[in-house]
Amino acid sequence: MAGGYAGKFLRVNLTEGSWSDFTLDHDTLKRFIGGSCLAAKLFLDQYPLDADPLSPENPLMIMTGPMVGSGFPGTSRFSVCARSPQTGIWAESACGGTFGPELKRTGYDGVVIEGRSQDPVTLTIHDSGVRISDASSLWGRDIYEATDTLKAGDKSAKVLAIGPAGENLARIAAIGNDKGHFSGRAGLGALMGSKNLKAVVVRGTSAKAAKADDAGFKAAMKTAMQEIKDSALAEGLHMMGSDANMDLGMVTGDVPVKNWTSGGEFDLASNLSGPTMREKYLTKAHACTNCPIACKRVVKVDDGPFATAEGPGPEYETCAVFGTMMMNPDLTAVIKANELCNRYGMDTISCGSAVALAMELYEKGEITKDRLGGLDLSWGNMDAVLELVRQTAYREGFGDILADGAVHAARRLGGSAMDAVVHVKGLEAPMHDPRGFHGMGLAYMMSNRGACHLQHFVLATEQGMASWPQLFDMKDDYEGTTSVGKAWLVYNSENYGILANSLSICHYVAYSIRPETLRDAFNAITGFGFDFAELLSTGMRDWTLKRGFNNLLGISKKDDILPKRIMTALEEGGAAGSVPDTDLLLKEYYALRGLDERGFPKEDVLVRLGLNELKERLY
Amino acid sequence: MPIKAMTQEWMDAYKAAIQADPEYKSIAKDWEGSVSLVVNPDPARNVPEPIYLFMDYWHGDVGDFVVCDKEKAESAKFVMTGDYARWKQVAYKELDATKALLQGKLKMKGDLPYVVRNIKTVNKVIDLLGKVDTLWPDDDHQ
Ligand code: SF4
Repeated sequence: MAGGYAGKFLRVNLTEGSWSDFTLDHDTLKRFIGGSCLAAKLFLDQYPLDADPLSPENPLMIMTGPMVGSGFPGTSRFSVCARSPQTGIWAESACGGTFGPELKRTGYDGVVIEGRSQDPVTLTIHDSGVRISDASSLWGRDIYEATDTLKAGDKSAKVLAIGPAGENLARIAAIGNDKGHFSGRAGLGALMGSKNLKAVVVRGTSAKAAKADDAGFKAAMKTAMQEIKDSALAEGLHMMGSDANMDLGMVTGDVPVKNWTSGGEFDLASNLSGPTMREKYLTKAHACTNCPIACKRVVKVDDGPFATAEGPGPEYETCAVFGTMMMNPDLTAVIKANELCNRYGMDTISCGSAVALAMELYEKGEITKDRLGGLDLSWGNMDAVLELVRQTAYREGFGDILADGAVHAARRLGGSAMDAVVHVKGLEAPMHDPRGFHGMGLAYMMSNRGACHLQHFVLATEQGMASWPQLFDMKDDYEGTTSVGKAWLVYNSENYGILANSLSICHYVAYSIRPETLRDAFNAITGFGFDFAELLSTGMRDWTLKRGFNNLLGISKKDDILPKRIMTALEEGGAAGSVPDTDLLLKEYYALRGLDERGFPKEDVLVRLGLNELKERLY
Repeated sequence: MPIKAMTQEWMDAYKAAIQADPEYKSIAKDWEGSVSLVVNPDPARNVPEPIYLFMDYWHGDVGDFVVCDKEKAESAKFVMTGDYARWKQVAYKELDATKALLQGKLKMKGDLPYVVRNIKTVNKVIDLLGKVDTLWPDDDHQ
């Protein structure tokens, strides 16, 4: 057995109310590591791809990686994976918090949940056993209430739960871990809801995965702690959270404004920024298990129309989508929207993007006040926005149209709606404008879960948060508004960054330490002895495997596109006049990645990466 | 005629460039406080000793701009330290100062959220550094 692994996985069948353990061999672990990569491998080997994503045949996989539970900074993470209810293609959503290390302490590396329970249930995994119990009394409760109830008997238990949005099968539903951490994207909360699974509770007291080289691990750990201490990025994240990006991002053209139609709104950004949150509403910084950075915000709004009790605060993405995207300068309204999305269990990016779309259509007169049940959805009217958020979670009124995300909503609404949605492969883009950073545009086009900033490290490399010339030939400083040289940057930033989701390490920690330190810690834990080339090749295998998964579901070159809105230049702001050169980006990227003219991995690439079974299915 | 970098004459020229800029006053209206730059020695590039530069900025105006000693430099509200070659890259806009900071190529002592909030002022001041016709210690034609 390789170091770092608990050594077994749990398979639960909710239809039958049964469960059993299974193991994976050393070679499989070495090639697919863990997290979302291992989940994709298991899915392709064992489950039908063509099943409806909300059917019992679509498994919900919760996977950790070998570094989880080791105590190394940022290794609290786990990935929830399945075929996406929102997009119909590969879905993975990594989450920090507390659940991953606790699951590992129960003696499991991951859980695969099949079938569908007749009635609402909770799955409890303890190191002394597994239990499926009635959750009827929890059904209908929001995530905060359900979490508190489930932890009432044992404060040390860690909870993954869905809220009303997941129960109502909103395809933008998220899964919450201990209130402040979310597997947000691609609608995996709806899959959990479709299984009548309200929550997964884990509590481990004894199991500890052995490391291959304890002394080597201690040395890498010491180095990592020093590097984090010395890192201005880590310091900034600790002081301002991920929303540290807001002011600078407005200058560089990263922050979308008014549903991606404007830019250069510096005062708006300043009202919504990390420094403002710190000055006015932060009560403390909070950390995922074993993280010295503590980028998470705990906030409180004492008074005003959006008074909010002390609780988890918004990330940058939420501040942008419920702030600049809606022309809302009031950070307290963002904090309230964040709390509502947390409680209802909805992805803030998808929910906010759908609402911003509706605001634009309201301004254009394509949606009337009548259709909105009397809501005045003018830009910046946050009372109406918050009511629409509630309706979305419960599929009430106009909220029913938004509950499946902006793309599904645009299809139902018609008119100019589809031209106003920024998405790739059905997933709304996160709050980083490809017109300001062309590499991010390519990364959106090629990310395997649709438009995504977390399947790669492009955010860090293109925006200059990190520079790793020891890994691949890269510059310290890239101009955002050029496409030249970006395919190389994206290709390599994907190969390294996608590993974060199989190793299950936080991106921010990985940005703050040298690749040598991460490699050394990984090797000391697992004993795999990878050099940089092998690490990058593991990333290539990961990307190619998921691309093949999507190819089998019909994804091809035609889907590797940026939406019309992004291909329309802005008139103001840091990205003014700039659009990515998608022809150049794709041409160079396809060559680097070894994709054929259909957008399928070439046979020799699949063979080189040891993906022969996938090759048989694709060719 | 280029001015020798990091001399008092150069500091005067830099101050004049800032004062002459039509946008600076409004962009920097909220900025309060002094900034010093510490240039680490690099004998191979004709910088045998550390150089300390002190600059006082106040709500769109500029005060003292002096080559100073270590003690004065360290009294500034913000102290930024880096190797000579990095500073030169920043001046030539080959390396963005914020990126250099995040990558650990420059170090800063001071209130980071304040700098983030006033990022436009920081960018403007660095931009204006490029306006001074400069002769660097390791320039060939020196
Ligand atoms: S940096 Fe933030 S998100 Fe990452 S592990 Fe630490 S606290 Fe969690």
